[in-house]
Amino acid sequence: MLVSPHAANGSNIFLQLGNLTDVLRQVSIVGIISLAMTFVILTAGIDLSVGSILALSTTVVALVLTRWQTGLSYPVEIALAILAALAVSTASGALSGAIIAVFDVQPFVVTLAGMIGIRGLAKWLSNNANVDVGFGQDVASTFCAIFRGKAVTIACYVLLAIIFAVLLSRTIFGRHVRAVGDNERAALYAGLPIRRIKLWVYSLSGLLAGFAGVLYAAENHQGNPNAGVGYELDAIAAVVIGGTQLSGGKGTIAGTIVGTLMIGVLTNMLRLNNVDSNVEMMVKGGIILLAVAVQKQGRSAR
Amino acid sequence: MKMKLMRMGLVLLAAGAISCNRTSPGKRQFFVAFSQANNAEPYRAAQNDLMTKLFARAGDVKLVIADAQQDNSKQVAQVETFIRQRPDLLIVAPNERAALTAVMGEAMEQKIPVICLERDILQPNYTTLVRSDNTVIGHMAGEFIRDYLINKYKKAKGNVVEIQGLLGVEAAINRHKGAADVLSTYPDIKIVADPVADWVQARAKDRMTEVLRAQPSIDVVYAHNDPMAVGAYLAAKELGREREMIFVGVDGLGGPAGGIKKVADGILAATFVYPLCVDKTVEIALKMLRDPNFHPEKEYTVAPQLVTPQNAAELYQQTMSTQ
Repeated sequence: MLVSPHAANGSNIFLQLGNLTDVLRQVSIVGIISLAMTFVILTAGIDLSVGSILALSTTVVALVLTRWQTGLSYPVEIALAILAALAVSTASGALSGAIIAVFDVQPFVVTLAGMIGIRGLAKWLSNNANVDVGFGQDVASTFCAIFRGKAVTIACYVLLAIIFAVLLSRTIFGRHVRAVGDNERAALYAGLPIRRIKLWVYSLSGLLAGFAGVLYAAENHQGNPNAGVGYELDAIAAVVIGGTQLSGGKGTIAGTIVGTLMIGVLTNMLRLNNVDSNVEMMVKGGIILLAVAVQKQGRSAR
Repeated sequence: MKMKLMRMGLVLLAAGAISCNRTSPGKRQFFVAFSQANNAEPYRAAQNDLMTKLFARAGDVKLVIADAQQDNSKQVAQVETFIRQRPDLLIVAPNERAALTAVMGEAMEQKIPVICLERDILQPNYTTLVRSDNTVIGHMAGEFIRDYLINKYKKAKGNVVEIQGLLGVEAAINRHKGAADVLSTYPDIKIVADPVADWVQARAKDRMTEVLRAQPSIDVVYAHNDPMAVGAYLAAKELGREREMIFVGVDGLGGPAGGIKKVADGILAATFVYPLCVDKTVEIALKMLRDPNFHPEKEYTVAPQLVTPQNAAELYQQTMSTQ
């Protein structure tokens, strides 16, 4: 493969403001998903359906904007389209949550079913074709022009990160989420509404995956039923690197954000230096193991 | 025991299919079985649509399409079932070369004519092969890029970014090779970056953003498929640099989300239609069915087509009317 002669200055480029904000924007989509994933994992659960929910959301928002001639004003139609996407996404999450909470089925199995079924729904709705948005003056193009902005995407991520950090560390709900994962039986005896907490956590996960889907559709000018494959694993990786234990109970939003940024910065640096993309995957695998090993040592030293 | 039951079931099914075939007296109805590698890719879906339409137009053909869902063993099983049904013609778009070679040989042994569609197999276990050539597409893209640069600078020089599909896949290898064969003979045409974006538009956008940060001057972006070329365009547009360079893609699918529309809209400077190969397949299939004295050639190659803003609108209308 031919390699760029200009590649050696990769590290200088890295520090440019434009590049740093590129990284932030690039991690925003998975970053947003991983905020709610932190809550899910704190309850000792997992949500494998988020990548498919993202795809469903991109499809719904693009379908509403391009196929539905309402005659309403642009802001109203854009708001309706986003609401429709968020409603469908939240409902998908809530359905998983309800099955997990009421029937006490393992989250892995329920959300695995969701991952397959919801992807099918997105493909069915769109006839398995991308729903393309052009660059004109119509309502769909206007939606993309507004929401594909770097500042908008990053602001959404930052805002949601603050909200979820506060929700986890400063509210009763946050404490309950942790308690459920730490020791479900104790939480049950303490009279916590475990079922309701689980329902909420998976609904939030669907909501944020749907919101990430709205941003994805705007950024890529399309609804794509095949989008987001593997995003659930990227989000889980960010949460795990950030120090949240898969067994639940312990973890922070700040950690997840650090995990998200680590992956983003690493990808960007390797790419700027034209590192072979196969090597990139190997390095990422190593980093995940290293991060978890370091945390383990930190804990046992305490 | 289970196997026996399954076999019996298959035989019953086959018997059913045969008896159905024979119920229409008068004009002969041909039974054509098509085993498709998967229905998920837009390219494959377009093949299915066009084939259904063209055979329906022929009037004397009953077409059955089976979707192998990108699974070799599923496709082998489907072809086996088809063989039991004794179609007048079997068309196979192999999922992978090695896996389908044997079972297609079995069909040939059973004296069922076989058309191998688009992908070659290890042994020539087919009556005829209808295919296109990715190396030729790469070559055409290389020549288009060279001519554009000569036109721009009055000599063959410039900076090219090549956005690659999935590494190691035939299409990516040959679309690269064909272009490199042309461009590497001009020392002043430089490939300044060649990121891998796995055919995915969103990934191409991210990788192109990094390339734009690192490269102050880019003349041409050559992407191994149209969605990646569009992703690169979106990245350049965001940094206000989309007019500095042109974007060249490959695939040239029809329809509102396809590459031809992107050329017509002025987003891509060119794309190359990787042919569906279905027109040729149906043409030869009908001859084989209707004329017992017709002997097809062992291989037909369908030429790729260059799409530029000059012919894009017209081609787009054509694809819309055949869909």
